[in-house]
Amino acid sequence: MGEKVLQIRHMRKEFGPTVALKDVDITLNRGEIRGLIGENGSGKSTIMSIASGMQPPTSGSMTYLEKPWHPANMVEAQAAGISMILQEANTIPGVTVAQNIFAGHEKEFSRMGIINMEKMYREADQLLEKFGIDRIHARDSINHYNFEDRKLIEIVRCVTDDTRILVVDETTTALSLEGREILYRLIHRMAEEDDKTIVFVSHDMDEIIEHCSVLTVLRDGEIVGELSRAEMDAPDAVQRIRYLMVGREIGEKYYREDFDSSHGEEVALELKDVPWGPIRHFNMKLHKGEILGFGGLSGCGMHEIGRIAYGIEKPEGGTVIRNGKEIRTPLSAIESGIGYISKNRDREALVLDASIEQNIVLPSLRSLEKGIVVLPGDEHRMAEKEIESFRIKCYSGRQLVNTLSGGNKQKVSFAKWSAKESEVIIMDCPTRGVDIGVKQAMYALIEQMKKDGKAVLMISEELSELVGMADEIVIMKDFEVVKTFKRAPDLKQTDIIEYMI
Amino acid sequence: MEETVKMTAAVPAREWLKKNVTTVASYGGLIFCVLLFTIVTPIKGESIWSAEKLGTLMSNVIVTALMSVGAVFIYAMGNLDISIGKQISIYATLMVLLGNTTGSLVPGIVLCLLLSLVFAIINGASGPLFNIIPIIPSVVVMQVLSGIITIVYAVLGTRSITLRTIDYSVFKSPLLMLVVLLVEIAVAMFLFNYTRIGKYAKILGANKTAAIQSGVSLLKFRLLCYMIAGICFVVAAIFQMGYTGSASDSTGTGFEMNIMVSLILGGMPISGGMRSRISAAVVGSFTFALLDVGLPLIGLPTRMTFIAKAVIFLIVVLITSRKKGGALPR
Repeated sequence: MGEKVLQIRHMRKEFGPTVALKDVDITLNRGEIRGLIGENGSGKSTIMSIASGMQPPTSGSMTYLEKPWHPANMVEAQAAGISMILQEANTIPGVTVAQNIFAGHEKEFSRMGIINMEKMYREADQLLEKFGIDRIHARDSINHYNFEDRKLIEIVRCVTDDTRILVVDETTTALSLEGREILYRLIHRMAEEDDKTIVFVSHDMDEIIEHCSVLTVLRDGEIVGELSRAEMDAPDAVQRIRYLMVGREIGEKYYREDFDSSHGEEVALELKDVPWGPIRHFNMKLHKGEILGFGGLSGCGMHEIGRIAYGIEKPEGGTVIRNGKEIRTPLSAIESGIGYISKNRDREALVLDASIEQNIVLPSLRSLEKGIVVLPGDEHRMAEKEIESFRIKCYSGRQLVNTLSGGNKQKVSFAKWSAKESEVIIMDCPTRGVDIGVKQAMYALIEQMKKDGKAVLMISEELSELVGMADEIVIMKDFEVVKTFKRAPDLKQTDIIEYMI
Repeated sequence: MEETVKMTAAVPAREWLKKNVTTVASYGGLIFCVLLFTIVTPIKGESIWSAEKLGTLMSNVIVTALMSVGAVFIYAMGNLDISIGKQISIYATLMVLLGNTTGSLVPGIVLCLLLSLVFAIINGASGPLFNIIPIIPSVVVMQVLSGIITIVYAVLGTRSITLRTIDYSVFKSPLLMLVVLLVEIAVAMFLFNYTRIGKYAKILGANKTAAIQSGVSLLKFRLLCYMIAGICFVVAAIFQMGYTGSASDSTGTGFEMNIMVSLILGGMPISGGMRSRISAAVVGSFTFALLDVGLPLIGLPTRMTFIAKAVIFLIVVLITSRKKGGALPR
């Protein structure tokens, strides 16, 4: 292990009444891949967001390259060598890939105020090539690329020769297998060959254990443990880390334990011969009491199926039917008892500036009406009931949703439909960006939904949860169904993956 | 659980102030104006609290306030309507013309209400139907109305028309103004805070996609909001016309800007959303009118009032529209 790069002493961070970091000491060394793991709200992202200039600490000190470190903003930090790749998309829409990569560095390409775009494109293409990303082209508008590709472009933008510390914050949840491989190769090369420091923030234990050289575990704003490579290789490492993260035994029960894939006869939602864009003649029947899983790579068309079934995308033909009625808009879907949890939580599922209460009651306002009046007391009672049953961590239902951690936000988007008493729930990546504790609760909830005779359409990029939860798994590839699997004790992820790629 | 208890206890004062800086600033602006003019004007030998000055204040504030209250429904959705001034102009013109032909204001008002429905449909519904941003139809409406008004006054061969037989003195009564304003505020607050219309308007302004995915019908509720606003504009037009009993080709000019300035002074976020409030319209238009009445009284030359208003506007904007930090990074 190399010399010290960044030292953090007694760091404390408060957000209003919430204490995100209590009193954290951490030292980063050269050439290490430092894992930071912890549940949502444990403060793992906060530490590095402070070190990379996104926000100042409430108190505490930092020493970077043996000098006191007080970055004013992310640009200053990046120029000094601390770059952070964020969880959410951070690219500029409407301009080219090259302009995104060199955003803020236009001067290097300009002469008397005129930017030499040819040169910028050339260098951007060279950079992309260097990172091993050949399907992205510098001249294209960034709008042509999907979420995953934009993430890769962001990585190319963040990492320069001067980067000393690269912070990868939950980035892999947005990436597919191929994107992850590119990222893993990059961080190993940077740490092992160039002697740089990588901070890998994640709550995916497998990934952390596989790639980190040293691991720090956080809980409730405090460091609760540090594991060396050898300790991570120990057979009981997973249990130990989990215990440190949650602070209690969470037990073995995680997914469903039964293998009974029977369900009601009645069809709860049906897609009949639906064409949409590249999707041709799609048929699907979802029954009462069934958990139907959809899996595949992110561009395979499974997310679109959910959107069509909920009336967001208008099919070019065919019908989406529930209880004999056609679903044409989200409104008609909701009225017929369907709920939809979007993959894009912050932009589509929740109104971040609104309170928890306002979000929960939103789809139910119509049923709360007395004449044309919606009484605040009714709204409040409905929201309180859900906040309690979902155990949403907040000091009041009036707290704004944007102050919640990822897991609690996701609980709010579930609570909306629980309050509405929806009979069919379409969930697109229901546990994206959610930690084990909340995941476990979500799985228990989904299992309960099945028992209550509700129909669940579970679209997921995580094969393990499909295998763990679904009665039937439909695998899609290139906008077509390639294979379906029945729930079975001996069903393995590896059997399924080959049909996906 | 100890922490939860601590949280609730720590919330009050400082947190409240942080969260409500906009409200504090906008009310503060109004209170400051009231105090300033109450204390300084007597030194100059006048009083802002004289019946006469209060009457002037009321007549100054009434039209802007009535319009702004309605406009909150449009602004809350994050939309702008720049045809309001011309709408007022055409309403006032029609009321005078029909008043003179029929001998009553009622037909004119009824026609204006019908017309406001047409404008609401054009301004509110064409956006979602043709997938264009709502300011565009309002630009079209504004230009078409300008054209019509020019033609009307050219045909009449005059630049202003006056009510001939109808007694309009009742509209000059500050008391009636106050009563109508209070009624409109009460109805608007009810619709805005206790019905789906206002709740949806705010949600649409904060996150349209999430609103639609939660079952908000964009077309229906945008139309309803524009209709409510339209009715408020007609009421405002009655007082605009009624104060002098006349209308001219320049009636209503710049009103949409007065509304915008009032709403911002009152702490309304220009992008709409959850922090939209009816009270912003009231507080803002009173601050705006107070400045108009009060600044000359404290000895500021009339030619300077625009600059003084601009400075005050700037200060309020700096306080209220600042980016809010302090959210968790995820």
